[in-house]
Amino acid sequence: MSKISRRWIALAAAALALVLAPPAVVAQTKLVVGNAGGSSADAERKVFYGPFASANKITIQEESFNQELAKIRSQVETGNLIWDMVSTTAINVATGCEEGLLEKVDWSKYFDPKVFRDVGGVSECGVPYLFVSGGLAYDGNRIKEAPKSWADFWNVRKWPGKRGLLYRAEQTFEIALMADGVPPAKAMEVLAAPGGPDRALKKLDEIKPHIHWWKNGAESINLLASGEVAMAYAWNGRVASANKTNNLNLKMELGAGHVSGCQYWAIMKGSKNKELAIKFIQYAVMAQNQADFVRVISYGPANRDAYALLSDQEKATLPGQHLDKASLQLGKLYLGFWLANGDSLLQRFVKFAAQ
Amino acid sequence: MLALVAPSVLFIALFFVAPLGLFLYRSIDNSEVPGWLPRTTAALASWSGEGLPDEPAFRAVAEDLAALSGSTALPLLGRRLNHNIPGFRGLITGTGGRVDLAKPGRMREQLIAIDARWGEPAYWQTIRRERHVVTPFYLLSALDLRYGASGAIERAPAESAIFLGLLGRTLAISLVVTGLCVLLGFPLAVTMAGASPARANALLILVLIPFWTSLLVRSTAWVILLQNSGVVNQLLVGLGLAQKPIPLIFNRVGLYIAMVHVLLPFMVLPLYSVLRNIPPELMRAAASLGAPPAVAFLRVYVPQALPGLVAGASLVFVLALGYYVTPALVGGPGDQMIGYFIAYFTNTAVNWGMASALGTLLLLVVALIYLALGRVVGLNRLAVR
Repeated sequence: MSKISRRWIALAAAALALVLAPPAVVAQTKLVVGNAGGSSADAERKVFYGPFASANKITIQEESFNQELAKIRSQVETGNLIWDMVSTTAINVATGCEEGLLEKVDWSKYFDPKVFRDVGGVSECGVPYLFVSGGLAYDGNRIKEAPKSWADFWNVRKWPGKRGLLYRAEQTFEIALMADGVPPAKAMEVLAAPGGPDRALKKLDEIKPHIHWWKNGAESINLLASGEVAMAYAWNGRVASANKTNNLNLKMELGAGHVSGCQYWAIMKGSKNKELAIKFIQYAVMAQNQADFVRVISYGPANRDAYALLSDQEKATLPGQHLDKASLQLGKLYLGFWLANGDSLLQRFVKFAAQ
Repeated sequence: MLALVAPSVLFIALFFVAPLGLFLYRSIDNSEVPGWLPRTTAALASWSGEGLPDEPAFRAVAEDLAALSGSTALPLLGRRLNHNIPGFRGLITGTGGRVDLAKPGRMREQLIAIDARWGEPAYWQTIRRERHVVTPFYLLSALDLRYGASGAIERAPAESAIFLGLLGRTLAISLVVTGLCVLLGFPLAVTMAGASPARANALLILVLIPFWTSLLVRSTAWVILLQNSGVVNQLLVGLGLAQKPIPLIFNRVGLYIAMVHVLLPFMVLPLYSVLRNIPPELMRAAASLGAPPAVAFLRVYVPQALPGLVAGASLVFVLALGYYVTPALVGGPGDQMIGYFIAYFTNTAVNWGMASALGTLLLLVVALIYLALGRVVGLNRLAVR
């Protein structure tokens, strides 16, 4: 034993020495980006980071960021910035902007705001670069008669089998209201009105024994592919890339209504590389690069000019034709409601799901 | 003597006791409200809490909010008060930018015109109650309690009272996992203690493998193995042992399997180190004195193994209490543990008061359990010799 442990210690010491050794001097500027990792970061690397870095002779370093606002806050408040910019959600852009954690930029100086109009436009602290749609998904090889609406999703008699839904109040409540007959564009309005959350929970209660709650995107695809659930709420990029890489025949019915929102680029308050970050963002939202990005990851483009560059087949899982059927995860109503009620509704939801 | 101990004492004080104290203090810290609303909190101190306060209080809140307008303190104050009443954030940020101190007329009418909620007593009562630098609010919330409209402490409504239930579930899951680890770990450790060094090392490596595997890989592997269309269920159905797939994952069974898998080494290692030092002669002596194997085992072997058993069990129990990623990945909606909310409040909601209150609650419960255990077993026996 002692021989083994001595060898381990020697190995560990060597490893430590490697870690602590002063790094070789790098003269290149480094842009540090916090992103979600996984397949979306792979696509960003391929279409944005790689080409931009080599064209500008800089390095782009990626750090893992799972949308914990606390991570941005602790860096800005301690003045110890590790990241220059982040890829983040509308809710984080809004709070981070208000609380002084993200840089306010006069984006209209750098962009044509018109091209972002369909997805809610640029905000004071962020520029949208991809459009995620969560909608009704099923396996085309298992289900013969295609479900057309969320009411069909709720119809467990006609389409037997479990239903996969997101283990979260946000998005799931909007979907439940759509199933209860609320037009998608009105879902947030109904939810924010008195009794809205009760109505959503009551609707969820109807199919509760049939619900399989999923907690991350990969899980939703797994459930559909293995036949564990007959239908699921799923994000379109995940569905399209599963079809591509695993040769599946998953279908999405975005016409049933969907919950959609953007992912934004935002710059950390006090970043020394602000100018470079702006230049990067300009590069990432150019129509051509947006179209290339869609081809890799199959999320919708934020720049509407990119649609013109895509083929019909590439547009199949994109919400282009169903933008009017969206409950948007942006805007004053959405942000105000979830910022105020997010915590208390999550508690209610967790309690409801456990009962 | 003192010089030898001083560095470690200093280290523990600086890097353990101090941060822990700060962390615990977070659960009652309320300096933001009186700090950012100095005039309002002073004005409300003399208010009875009935109906609406007088004009000076309206004037005070207007002055305080106007002073914060444009700074990041305004949304942060809103975030703080939103913990008490959902929607308070919007009231604060919405009023701060619009209030006009120079406008003639009563401030009461102006504020109510900006937002009708200034005419509701609940918001005023909240500021009045939170006017001190410390608050019991987070600890009460962690116990599913709150202040009612009358100012008395009452139970939170059933639909949102979740923390006591979560705490109970966390303790129950941890206890079962500890029990399973004892049942599986004890025979294994006994075998290892009696085996040749080479074989003991091989067994040790097998025990340690889950240790070296990343949490996500480990959990995903269990999903693939145990899901309805997974290897185990296909085998069971194929062999005719089950009519249809048995739900083995996304429920309590799956959670126990995954947690025991990870935590077993923490049971086996301390136990093994104790068992290895039990002289085999003692069992032989017991046998030569006429004790049947079962009696010798219970009266000679087990008492000597107890310190290892207790050390391993307490290690497993404490570690199990803090689990939240594994329950999220392999458990069902009825299997979430309190750590899920501690992480949520820390990372996503940035409500460190609540995170700290839940942590404090957990710490207190564990301390109580150990005190009780110490009474029953005797504290000196808990020490690993």
